[in-house]
Order: sequence, then structure tokens, then C-alpha cells
Amino acid sequence: MRARHVASVAVAAGLVLAACGSDDDTASDDSTATEDTEASGGEGGDCVVGVSWNNFQEERWGKFDEPAMKAAIEAGGGSYVSNDAKSSAETQASNVENLVAQGANAIVVLAQDGEAIIPSVQAAIAEGVPVIAYDRLIEDPDVLYLTFDNQLVGEMQAQALFDIQPTGNWVVIKGNSADANADFLRSGAEKVIGEAVAAGDIVIVGEDYTDNWDPAIAQTTMEGFLTAENNEIDVALVQNDGMAGGVIAALDAQGLAGQVPVSGQDGDQAALNRVALGTQSVDVWKDARELGTAAGEAAIALCANPDPASVEGAGPFTTPGGNEVSSIFLEPIPITQENLNLVVEAGWISEEDLCQGVEAGTVAACP
Amino acid sequence: MTDTQAAPATPSKTSALRSGLASAEIDSRMVGMILATAVIWISFNLLSDGDFLTARNLWNLSVQSTSIAIMATGMVLIIVSRNIDLSVGSLLGFLGYVMAMVQTRWIPNTFDLGLERWYTWIVALAVGLALGALVGAFQGFLVGYIKIPAFIVTLGGLLIWRGLIFRFEQGQTLSPLDSTFGRLGGGGADGSLGDWKSWLVGGIACALIIASVVLSRRRRQRYDLPLRPMWLDVGIAVLGCAVVVAGIGLVANRYISPITGSPTGIAYPVVILIMVTILMTFLARRRQFGRYVYAYGGNPEAAELGGINTRKVVMMTFVLMGVLCAVSAAVQTARLDAAVTNLGVTNELDVISAAVIGGTSFAGGIGTIPGAVLGAVIMQSLRSGMVLLKVDSPTQDVVVGLVLIVAVGLDSTLRKGAK
Repeated sequence: MRARHVASVAVAAGLVLAACGSDDDTASDDSTATEDTEASGGEGGDCVVGVSWNNFQEERWGKFDEPAMKAAIEAGGGSYVSNDAKSSAETQASNVENLVAQGANAIVVLAQDGEAIIPSVQAAIAEGVPVIAYDRLIEDPDVLYLTFDNQLVGEMQAQALFDIQPTGNWVVIKGNSADANADFLRSGAEKVIGEAVAAGDIVIVGEDYTDNWDPAIAQTTMEGFLTAENNEIDVALVQNDGMAGGVIAALDAQGLAGQVPVSGQDGDQAALNRVALGTQSVDVWKDARELGTAAGEAAIALCANPDPASVEGAGPFTTPGGNEVSSIFLEPIPITQENLNLVVEAGWISEEDLCQGVEAGTVAACP
Repeated sequence: MTDTQAAPATPSKTSALRSGLASAEIDSRMVGMILATAVIWISFNLLSDGDFLTARNLWNLSVQSTSIAIMATGMVLIIVSRNIDLSVGSLLGFLGYVMAMVQTRWIPNTFDLGLERWYTWIVALAVGLALGALVGAFQGFLVGYIKIPAFIVTLGGLLIWRGLIFRFEQGQTLSPLDSTFGRLGGGGADGSLGDWKSWLVGGIACALIIASVVLSRRRRQRYDLPLRPMWLDVGIAVLGCAVVVAGIGLVANRYISPITGSPTGIAYPVVILIMVTILMTFLARRRQFGRYVYAYGGNPEAAELGGINTRKVVMMTFVLMGVLCAVSAAVQTARLDAAVTNLGVTNELDVISAAVIGGTSFAGGIGTIPGAVLGAVIMQSLRSGMVLLKVDSPTQDVVVGLVLIVAVGLDSTLRKGAK
């Protein structure tokens, strides 16, 4: 009896492993470097761009970043080679070396571990192959760092709310206190509302961090603020979409959803739906395709001139680790009811998901 | 509210008050906790200029406490039987996500049946409860039969169930949920019982209290056990009913819904918590299973030699825990009107704290269900009281941590003193 139990557990474990394995198989198509030069047969095929993905199983990279990057590289007359590290820092190190061996003229790295990858990145640069740190920082002074401007996100959140309601009682729901990003976002917001706060036009009646960016905790915090202020809250500056959901649930329980402007970021489908419904005012969105295109164009430029500082749009940036790197910061886009069409046109969300529960004709994006 | 295991065997030099309480079958620890809650509430009320003891805040507090309190009732039995469950937060997140998948993806898309069907919430809840029981059985089997330490099994579970969320839809937020399901969370215009149904529930609760006092008296008579004085039994029944009436009249129905403009009444999640508490208390104190759990926790070897199927008992505590996680998951996702990947992160610590503040001992064999519920209420009172006072969350963590240590320290000191 007991032996049979054990056997069945073993079989179950085997099934689980097999299921995981099959997932890996679909992704491993990319792990053996695929060369698309022959197919596209580019006349200027002398620029080979090698891309090292850290984990291609995450939908975003294959769906948004890769096609945009590939298109930009091919439009510039280059060719695209890639491999997948499957979330392993060691695999990624050898993957970068492989790309150099395959004759890549420029390498784009989405780092699994920004520290562990440094030796192979330095080896590539020593061989004259420039490296782009894609989306995530690599602490090496010779890379080109390409990402979205995270401080600007906080600025955009506050600006969108300020445009709607530049006075009154504001509450600020921040992310995890241990996460530096929460403070970056807050300092970005301060640039917009600092003056109004000093002048007394805006009163911050409540401000708190949220453990683990947990929406349920954000909801409880907002319920407390609403009780303490007897519902006299005019604006809720919230740092991401998940917590915005919790805050809006708290407002909804008081019949105030849609009356108090609320901010967010990430472009969550649920949040974009709330923007369409009118319960969330702004969702600061980072278009992954834009990042891919920028990386493709930068890689082509680096083929011609391997100096990162020479790439158009690059400026100096001091990293948290104290390195001076060249970097390109892309601007995120604040999505409001007026420009919801952008996320649909980008294929980020289907019109059906965006407009679920929205009365037809109330929002331009939901005809 | 005493359980026999909790009372010291033969008190030799106990204080007069304590022995008086014990012979009256009143748990002195429970009395102490109620007093502590009263002190906390009155202090916060003074500090917040009367914001704390308002119908609105207490109603919010009742809803905010439910999710942790429901899981804490199960955690008591786990800890009493000398185990631990670290997976409850992750399991809650996983089950909440699956229930949301049923409502927002599988029923409407996979089976092409559309949104907002009358059966949507029933199917979602049934799937969640069944899956919770299954996961509990899996973990309980590994602990009870294979004898892998519960700490290890559930630590693994903590990682596994959270990780599995990302297997669905890349872990994106699922929202909005079915509107009927949403009522389980207590929000909106129809998330609570309203005026007259609240009084109906109150009437039933009062009848149950009187019945349990009468039945307990009869039982003691039948076994020739010493009886409480009649005035005390009458007093307990009157006091119990008074609490029920005050809870409904001064809190639930006094809180006027800002949406409908009429009395809000008891929120559905609170109704669920009350039912869970009654059922779990009944199970722990009046059923064979409950007695086995306490017997095993008090002395595992003796229980095993006494012919109790201890493996099965241990496994069943985990099955119960899994089901209760599903109930809490339904309440939390419904309340948030969304399933998110970080739902319930670190909830395991809150649940264990609630059980321990409520008098559950890691030494095994000791702990009560109502105590754990009150423990959850005390923890949430501290949290929401400090939010009202605009104390920031890092400071809240410091205070709650200190209270946890002081509460357990006091408890074990008093317990030693009683021996």
C-alpha cells in the first residue's frame, strides 16, 4: 500500500518534470543560435548583431521586443543572431562568448545577472565587439545602457493627476520601502507637486509605503486614510497598477471610484481596462517595441562606430555602482482615456479586453 | 471557551481568581485577551480623536480581519499537532488565481459560456475548495505518512504554489471578477446582509449561544460534573447575546452604506468567518477528530500507542488548512476584485502570529480556535489603528513585531506561574 503511494508520487513527479521539460523544448529552438541572414539575404550583411536573451520563456521578449529589434536590424542592413540563457547566469556567460565566436559585430545583452555577466562582456569589448545592456544595467563603464527613464514615470504620474486636480487633499501610496524604485518614483513626483505642496495648495493627508507592493495592503491603507479623512480625499497618487487596483476597490466601497483621480504604471491589462472605464486616470506605459527598435538601431550604429558615446541620443549616466556609462533613456508614455488607441494599435491589449464592461461610444478607443 | 488540555492538570497554588475562573469553565487567557483588545481599542480611540471606535472603522476592521482569521482557525490545529504550515500565503495566492482563471478565462473563453453566469461563482468556489483540499492532502500525506518534516514540505510549498501562478497567463492581473463572486469580499452595494437579515443572523446566533449554555449544563449534569452557578450561566448567555446585539446595532447596522444610503449590515466575509469559527470550534472540541488532534499534540507517542491513526489525523489537519486557504483566497480576491501574483505574500507569518497571540503553543496540545480569531483581530486592530494615526508601515512592522514577542512572553510567564 505504502509502496504504491510512493510509486504514484514518483510518477506524478515525473509528469511534472516532463511538463516542465516540454516547455523548455519550445524555447530551446532559440538556444541553438539561429542565423537569419541567408533568409533575408541582406546586401549590407556585414553587420551581425548577436542578442543574448536571459529567458525567452517570458512572453514579453518574444512577442514585443524581439520582432521590433529584428526589424530595426534588418532595416539597417544587418543580420540577427540570438540565443537563450534560460534564466541561467552561467549559460548566459558562455552564450555571449559564443556570439563573439560566431562573428557578431555588436552584442545586445538582456542580463540575467548584471554582475555575473561582466567578465564575458569585458572579453567581448576587448575583442572590439561593442555591447548594449538591454533594459537591465550591466555595471561596466564601456557598455551602452538602454532603458526607460524610471524617474520620469513618477513625474508623469504626478503630472497627469496634477492636470486634473492641482489642489486639495492628496494621498500617496508608495511601493515597498526596501525598493529604491519607490523613492525614485516619489522624487519624480515631487518635481511636479513640490511647489504646490510648499504653497499649501496641495495637502498630503496620508503617505505610506506598501509591503511587497501588495494590492491588498494598499487597499487596507486606503480604507484607513478614507476613514481618517472622512472621505475628503481628492487625489490618490499610486505608484503601480496592482496597488491602484486595491486603492480603487477601497474607493469603490465608498461609492467614490471614478471621482478620485488615481495613477498607476506597468500597462497591466486590468489597469488599462480601468482607464477605459474611467476609474483610473493614468497608466504610465513602457512600450517594449520601442525599446527593441532603439536597441536594433543602436546596434547598427555601433557596427559603424563601436564607441557607445557616438550613438545618437546617448548621454553620460552615473550608475548606482559609480560607473560612468553612455546611456539612452526612452520616454514612457502616460496612457489616459484620450490616447488609449496607442495600446491597442501596438497590439499590447486587444480591444475586447480593453473595452470589457465599457459602454460603447463613451471612450474613443471603444467604439 | 476552555479546552481541557489548556487547563493546568492539578493547580496547587493558583490564585483564587484563576481557580475560580477555571472551575467556572472560563478560559482566563481568553478573558485576558478580551481585556487587551479593549485597552488597544480605547487607546487608539483616544489617540485618533474618536476615529477608531466608529461604526465605519469597526466595520472595516471586521472585514479586514477575516482572511487571516479564517486561516488562523486551521493553523491552530496544525500547530497543536506539533507541525507548521508555511505555505498558506502562497497557497492562498495560487488558489485565488485559479478561481479567477475559472471566472475570467476558462468559463468565458475555454468553454465559451460567457461572463456573469449564475453558476460562475459556484463553479469558481467549488474548484478552489477542491483544489485546496487536494493540495492540503498532498502536503499532509508527505508530512503524516512519508514523515518529511512539515517545515520542509510547506517551505517547498511556499515556493511551488507561488511559482505555479506564473504558469497561467504569465501571471498578469486578472480583473474584474464575476460580480456575484465579488459579494464574498464585502465591498460594493451588495456585499453585506443589510438591515433585517443582519438581525435574523443575530437572532440565530443568540439562540445558538443559549442552546450551547443549556446543553453544556445538561451534559455536566448527566456526567455528575460540578455545575456552574445558575447566575453565571444566565450571565454568560445574557452577555453573549448583548455582544451580538451591540455588534449589529452599534456597528454593522449603524454603518450607513455610502452607496445605498441604508444600513450596511454584517458583511458576507464576516458571516463566513463566524460560520467557520463555529464549525471549527465544534470540530476541535466536540468531535473525535478534534480530540485526537489535541491528544496527539499533547503526547504523540501516547496517542499512537493508544490506537489513534495519527498519520491520518495529521494529514486531515492539512486538508482542512487547504480548504480554509481556499475560503480566504475567495474572500481576498473578491475583496480586491482582482487576482494578482503577490496576493497573500507573507500571510503565513500573519496567520502564525494570530494563532500564537491567540494562545496556541508551539509545544503542542494547546490552543483554541476563538483565541486565534481574536489574535487576528488584535493584529489587524494594531495595523488599522496605526494607519488611522498615519504611522508609516516600517514603524507598524516594528510595533507588531514587539507586540508578538511581548504577548507570547507574557503568556508563557503566566503559564509557568500557574504551575
